[in-house]
Amino acid sequence: MSMFRAKKLDLGCFVNARVIRDHTKRKVFAEHEAERQALRYIIRNMELPARTRAQAQLELSQMHCYTRSTQISNRCTEGGKGRGVLRDFKMTRFNFRLNALKGLIPGVKKGIW
Amino acid sequence: MSVPRTRLLDLMKVQCRIFSHTFNPEGLRLGNKVLRQRLKGPVLAAYYPRKISTLKDLRKAYSGPDGFEIPNDDHDDWEENHKIIKARGKGAPKKKRTAEESKKFKGKKR
Repeated sequence: MSMFRAKKLDLGCFVNARVIRDHTKRKVFAEHEAERQALRYIIRNMELPARTRAQAQLELSQMHCYTRSTQISNRCTEGGKGRGVLRDFKMTRFNFRLNALKGLIPGVKKGIW
Repeated sequence: MSVPRTRLLDLMKVQCRIFSHTFNPEGLRLGNKVLRQRLKGPVLAAYYPRKISTLKDLRKAYSGPDGFEIPNDDHDDWEENHKIIKARGKGAPKKKRTAEESKKFKGKKR
């Protein structure tokens, strides 16, 4: 959402709308994580009165969807793609192959046997 | 020989105090597992590489008529190459300023 988006682009990788969106979601999640965890604690604590817990449930469910961790998905830093991304290298399988063959990724070597 | 429950509970209490756990012998759901979780926001937010300032940015910010002179090898190479091309008459044609000039070579050739 535009209200969360940074006014000035602070990304150094491949940029498209979806990458910016995902980056924004990550930042918003990091900002609201403590609040979400506090609400989750209240909800799970059986010692607290039922009313308080119900209120916390409502509050948590009414938080903006950008504050959820499930909204975040790993995207390729080289091409912005959302599928086939290798988590260790933050790249899609094809970009990983290209970079690995060029020798740009330390410690990666083509297997020959 | 069996140990009385109260004694065991006392031991557990001391253990919890020392290791800063919550003392909960009845096994009630206190939601402490939420508090025990680590915050993963900073790691997630650092997924994409942030913008780093380049030499180009530095030049843009500081070089000027009364600023610093920051050498630009690429531009110097281009300028030299451009001069050679111009001398050989292979440069880009001059920009047409008026409508008449631009019409000069247009239309069907018979």
